[in-house]
Amino acid sequence: MINRTFSIITLFVLFAASSLTAQEGSPNDMNAQIIKGKGFISYPSYSGSPFLNAKFLNGEIEFLDGTKVKNLGLRYSSYRDELIYFNDYLSDQIVIDKISIKGFSFTDINSTKRIFRRQNYDGFLTGERYFEVLSDGGISLLAYRKVDLESCDPSFSKLGLAYKQSYSYYMFAPNKGYSILKLNRNSLLSKFDKPNQKLVRKVLRKNGVMITDEASFVLAWNLIKENTIPIHF
Amino acid sequence: MKRRIIILLLLFVALSGKAQDKAHFSLFTDRDIYTSGETLLLKVFVPEGEQSGIVHIDLINTKGKIITGISKKITDHQADGFIDLPDSLSTGCYLLCTSTKINPSVTVKELYICNRFTGIPESNSALKSKGTNYLVEKRDTLFQIEGLNKNYSTREKVSLSLHLPSELLPQLDENLFVSVAEIAPGYNSGTFFKSVIPRTSQIIEKEGVVLDGIVTDVITGKPFKNGIVFLSIPDTIPRFKYYITGNDGHFKFQLDNYFGKLEVVIQGFDREEKRFLKVDLNNRDSLTSVVPTFEKWTVTPELRKYAEDNTEATNFRKIFNRQELVVVTPPKTKPDDYPFYGLPTEVVDPQLFIELPNFTEISRELLPGVKFRTYNRKSSLQVFNPALHNYFIDQPLVLLDGIPIRDLNIIKDLGSKEIDRIEICRDERHYGYLVFQGVVAIYTTKADVTRIAESDDLIKLKTDGIQPDVSLNIPKEQQLNEMDLRKVLLWKPSLKPENTIKFDFETSDIRGSFKLIIKGKTRDGSIIYKEQTFEVH
Repeated sequence: MINRTFSIITLFVLFAASSLTAQEGSPNDMNAQIIKGKGFISYPSYSGSPFLNAKFLNGEIEFLDGTKVKNLGLRYSSYRDELIYFNDYLSDQIVIDKISIKGFSFTDINSTKRIFRRQNYDGFLTGERYFEVLSDGGISLLAYRKVDLESCDPSFSKLGLAYKQSYSYYMFAPNKGYSILKLNRNSLLSKFDKPNQKLVRKVLRKNGVMITDEASFVLAWNLIKENTIPIHF
Repeated sequence: MKRRIIILLLLFVALSGKAQDKAHFSLFTDRDIYTSGETLLLKVFVPEGEQSGIVHIDLINTKGKIITGISKKITDHQADGFIDLPDSLSTGCYLLCTSTKINPSVTVKELYICNRFTGIPESNSALKSKGTNYLVEKRDTLFQIEGLNKNYSTREKVSLSLHLPSELLPQLDENLFVSVAEIAPGYNSGTFFKSVIPRTSQIIEKEGVVLDGIVTDVITGKPFKNGIVFLSIPDTIPRFKYYITGNDGHFKFQLDNYFGKLEVVIQGFDREEKRFLKVDLNNRDSLTSVVPTFEKWTVTPELRKYAEDNTEATNFRKIFNRQELVVVTPPKTKPDDYPFYGLPTEVVDPQLFIELPNFTEISRELLPGVKFRTYNRKSSLQVFNPALHNYFIDQPLVLLDGIPIRDLNIIKDLGSKEIDRIEICRDERHYGYLVFQGVVAIYTTKADVTRIAESDDLIKLKTDGIQPDVSLNIPKEQQLNEMDLRKVLLWKPSLKPENTIKFDFETSDIRGSFKLIIKGKTRDGSIIYKEQTFEVH
């Protein structure tokens, strides 16, 4: 019994010593949160969702100066291409200044980590955009998760307007820019030279990949990357 | 029994980390005797277990009063810098103290400084410390210097090789430092350590100097909870930090990666604006606990002659504006930086329009959506929020040259001539845990903080950030018709250890004894060194 008491006390002391060390090294209020943004003003209520994720999901932001802030409740607005976070202290939704962000990520309800990067888009409607990185590398596969407010059948929405997905996909290389893609086999094959198209077909056939949606397109893209088939960009 | 032993061993391992605190800083200077107005070069080796990222080096007098000091970032357990000795220092003994905010050990080096206008007093009487805990260094015979003669003439080129045996290289903890400087005849200053109560046990300066203090209620005198403290640094892009006080009323700000001299404004206030607050900084202006006992000694005629020559050389260098040092790395600017209050929705330059006499007129004529009114000597300001099609209820954040102001009477008399530009943010802006109902930032043509008066809740101070790195300013081409009165011929504070290190220097016009010193720290914490003297005729 005495032995057991002695062990418990010692373990308690050990725990106290280790927790003290952790406290000393932990960030304190000196590094109070300094996220810059503006108050979120609710969007008009129509059918469909203006957000990629309706609920706030736990995520991480990387700022331009390299600092990272973890464990933030994040929500991406596809309608306005804005990143919103929930400030627990103020109990308020804040739109983070786009120019301060390098990228962000969050884990969705399917436990998939989704990574977004802020990049300048030099095509039609030029400007800074958040792109989801579907596949990274020398040539990246990016998705621009845009939602537009469009008129629709009154049977679908009483007000005759609804938020509708208008996603676009791009191949991107820093020195070459953007090249738009459609989620079908022909669009993918058009990015290869004639001899390489045969190789691509072979790889897809061998792995039984049919391009029907985004997931299969990404799978096909990654297979091509693994087989190092040169893309004509 | 076995279990008890294991547990006791575990306990010992857990608590042994604290033993490292006993290690001391090692401090070296280029010389032991200086003239006021000169630049002192220094090198610090930091003990292995040091948690702080910033080391403070302070010059104190024999009563412990801090005269000047610097803060340096610790890199690879080392730091080097310089102190400009004030012209006003009276002749006598001074102490150079090396410390961090959390280390209970302070290393002190004794120096003799001679005032360049008054010289050494006729009495020849001086003080010398009687410190007991002198730091011991180990002379190392493994360092081998090749090419150094006993005698040189003035303005002679010297090429040296330093050989380090292969078995020594893995033992060395990071860089070596090498110095060649004039030595004073018959004077050796001691370096000792003193144990003190650390300034704080909670504030660890990792990336920059920490400013801390307390906010109290003016009426009750008690620490104020939930007070907001703002720290502002006026700049092209104004810098801003905030702190919300806890039960103890304390606040702290880390000036991370701020270099050189800084003008800082700290203000504290009650969010509900019910209480008047007082802001006090934990300023340390004395280090009395490190002052040793002193004994008298007499300045020798040789030393007096040396000091007089030294003063003459310093005066010459001052008259001809010889720069001792060159800044190596200018402070880096952050990419794509913008003010903490966000990108302005509108920028107005009042000087582009007809001249207006005061801010009320400027707001009426030039700032649509900004309502500035003065009734019964009280001014108010509101910003129109286009999203809500109404004015914000609360006063926006008003900045004058980057400093938040709450008394709007400061700006009411500002006319077009005094204002360079006005930046307006019409949105509800958020900065961390702070919310601003719009922002009006006024930048004056003078761009200074003199319009803002100090009070109980507002402190203006000039402080030092981290000292930027410097190198010795050695003229590339010697001019024969100009006197070269350098007393430090070589100063390489961070030299990467290799089997053979070559370096060159040129003697100056100063005749006398010079010493070459090579120092390094081994991984077991001991200082090893090699020194060799030579004469310049």
